[in-house]
Amino acid sequence: MKKTHFSIFMLFLAFILLITDPLSPKEFPQFKQPVLITSAGQSAEVQLASVLAKRAGLNYSLSKTATSRDLADVKTIALVIGTSLKGLGAAGLDMSQENERVSSLIKATQQFNIPILCLHLGGEQRRGTLSDQMIKTVLPFAQHVIVVKSGNKDGLFTEICNTHSIPLIEVERAADALEPLKNAFL
Amino acid sequence: MLNKFKYSNFSAFLLVLLSLWLIYSCSPTAKDNKALPSDKHQPHNVYGQTGMVVAAHPLAAKAGLDMLQNGGNAVDAAVATAFALNAAEPFASGIGGGGFMVIYLAKEKKVTVINFREKAPSGAFPEMFKIGGESSVELRREHGLSVAVPGALAGWNYALNKYGTKNLNDVIKKAVDIAEQGFELSDTFSKINKDEYEKLLKNSGEESNYLNDGFPYEPGDVFRNPELANTFKSIASNGIEEFYQGDIAKKIVKAIQDLGGILSFEDLSSFQPIEQEPIKGTYEDYTLYSIAPPGSGGLHIIQLLNIIENWPVQKWGFNSAAYIHHLSEAFRFVFADRARYLGDPEFVSIPVSPLLSKKYGARIAQQINPNRSLHNYPYGEFDEKDNDKESTTHLCVRDKEGNIVSLTQSINHFFGSGIIPQGTGFLLNNHMDDFSRDPESANAPRLNRRPVSSMGPLIVFKDNEPVLVLGSPGGTRIFPSLTQIIINIFNFKMNLDEAIEAPRFFSYSVSGEPRNIYLESRISFEVRQTLESMGHTLTIREDYDNYFGGAQGLMILPRKRGMHGGADSRRDGYGAGY
Repeated sequence: MKKTHFSIFMLFLAFILLITDPLSPKEFPQFKQPVLITSAGQSAEVQLASVLAKRAGLNYSLSKTATSRDLADVKTIALVIGTSLKGLGAAGLDMSQENERVSSLIKATQQFNIPILCLHLGGEQRRGTLSDQMIKTVLPFAQHVIVVKSGNKDGLFTEICNTHSIPLIEVERAADALEPLKNAFL
Repeated sequence: MLNKFKYSNFSAFLLVLLSLWLIYSCSPTAKDNKALPSDKHQPHNVYGQTGMVVAAHPLAAKAGLDMLQNGGNAVDAAVATAFALNAAEPFASGIGGGGFMVIYLAKEKKVTVINFREKAPSGAFPEMFKIGGESSVELRREHGLSVAVPGALAGWNYALNKYGTKNLNDVIKKAVDIAEQGFELSDTFSKINKDEYEKLLKNSGEESNYLNDGFPYEPGDVFRNPELANTFKSIASNGIEEFYQGDIAKKIVKAIQDLGGILSFEDLSSFQPIEQEPIKGTYEDYTLYSIAPPGSGGLHIIQLLNIIENWPVQKWGFNSAAYIHHLSEAFRFVFADRARYLGDPEFVSIPVSPLLSKKYGARIAQQINPNRSLHNYPYGEFDEKDNDKESTTHLCVRDKEGNIVSLTQSINHFFGSGIIPQGTGFLLNNHMDDFSRDPESANAPRLNRRPVSSMGPLIVFKDNEPVLVLGSPGGTRIFPSLTQIIINIFNFKMNLDEAIEAPRFFSYSVSGEPRNIYLESRISFEVRQTLESMGHTLTIREDYDNYFGGAQGLMILPRKRGMHGGADSRRDGYGAGY
């Protein structure tokens, strides 16, 4: 009897540990394909995400300036955060137009229940006033975040993710985002 | 008597001691050659007594210094530095590009210019970038059509043969070492590599040697370029003919034509640099020498200084609203002249003398309203008879004889066209983008023309002696930035590196209409508000933004007290003296 009780207790403990382990892969949401990769800030890292998606074997499309019209059949949005004045200029956008586009897109994803996977791949170099503003606006709507560690030196991503209970994965360099990206779509 | 003798001996001894102490304490060496400050933006002048090289990368500056210390003159060192920059800062310049070199020969007291600006291919024509009536940015910048005939190697070789003392093999060695052994990448390199990732992917693929296993390099990664080392070795062995007529030429033509370009083998084999007279202007007690068109930087710096001479800039104060307003308005007038008149002087007549006249400068100064933005900036009108045919990394070198080189060169945008001829390790320029979009313009693309450049390497003299050597990359921001540095030194009495690091601004006009004022964010909020109230629209850039260039300078101290070097922290500038 005692033995049975002990076994039940151990099983219960294991269950509790399993559901509370912050590093458990089961915590991370699973995303579906096809994926639409787009930018939030027009930095060049959107292209990096595209190469990662190709190497991960994902069914994806890339549109740097995607709008709600591009969401047909899309099961996941990969939002690559990072603001670049050069990129904005090349896209013919200013900061307020880009903010407007991204906000409308997020609104549409909520309307269609499309989950958002956020990526910040530019590291410390892709932080600063404009990028930080974008991070603070976009990140609370993410279901999962992958960030290059140096970009989270000050803990901004950790803080927002903790506040909104969003699973966060840190990687050393952009190329290391490949595995977590693959895992997100298993 | 004996006492008197002893006393006078003692006095003499004291005098010598005092003199020695004075010499030591006044020597710039004692106070200037401190270790580099931990904050790279902290102004820091390097000191050299005998010779100096200032360039956009420490390894390049050291390569030039090594050449000086091993008996090379300023031209040898400048060419060694230029090769080394191709290895250490390959995204900004190299043998796939072109530029201009201002040389001062101390013995002859002569200034000359070598123009090795790229040329349009012989198949070029004004409408070559149009798709459906619109000028295509992609064709101009990231396509085979974007590549102009590279002139750098021909220019360096010309300078070396005529004014140097070493051969190609000698000046190329350090660059080969840098390319083979590699170096740790800076934040600057990594950030630019990330920014230009899409172009590199498109034109050189994931296997590009400018990518790390298909991804951009991170700060601290080691970057090696063995293919470039082999290219340099081949040039050292076979001469520049290898590049313009040999195997490398074939690879260049193939890479360009595979991506839709028209540059031919004949375009390469017929390329020749030109030696030109410099243009000359004065500002207060100083005389400036710079490059003539198709380089526009020198001409516009002199134009701007002629305008500024009419204003009490010291009274207004450094980067005050009045100062930024007046200079921005002046920039806009100068850009109107640039668009109207500048082209390749071999093919179009340019009113150089009237543009450079003090009278014209005063006329523009009078047109500027001290309180409001004008919103209309017409180009100057001159009599046809006044027209004449006189006519992006920067490095400065001075040798022990006092010879000087001020060299600016570029492959245009960072990582140029993104096209790398197979197995060569160097990037081809996209300088065809410097031609005008307007097919009627004096600067429209046409066969064998050189596009107008904003480069403005210069040497400033006072009482016939050189006092300042200066230049910068930065596209159309080059001459506005260099003008600000000159004013910082001569009017606001800043030392060289202070003047280089000081916050910058920029504006321009298109078809007579103003564009925004671009400001580094260090310019105060109050000043920004005043500018807005004067009718300006502002764009705030980063604190130290390489959008405004990456100037390198060398200042010769009076009374043979050596020289100061100032290198821009907006990139990885570095000075090395001895």
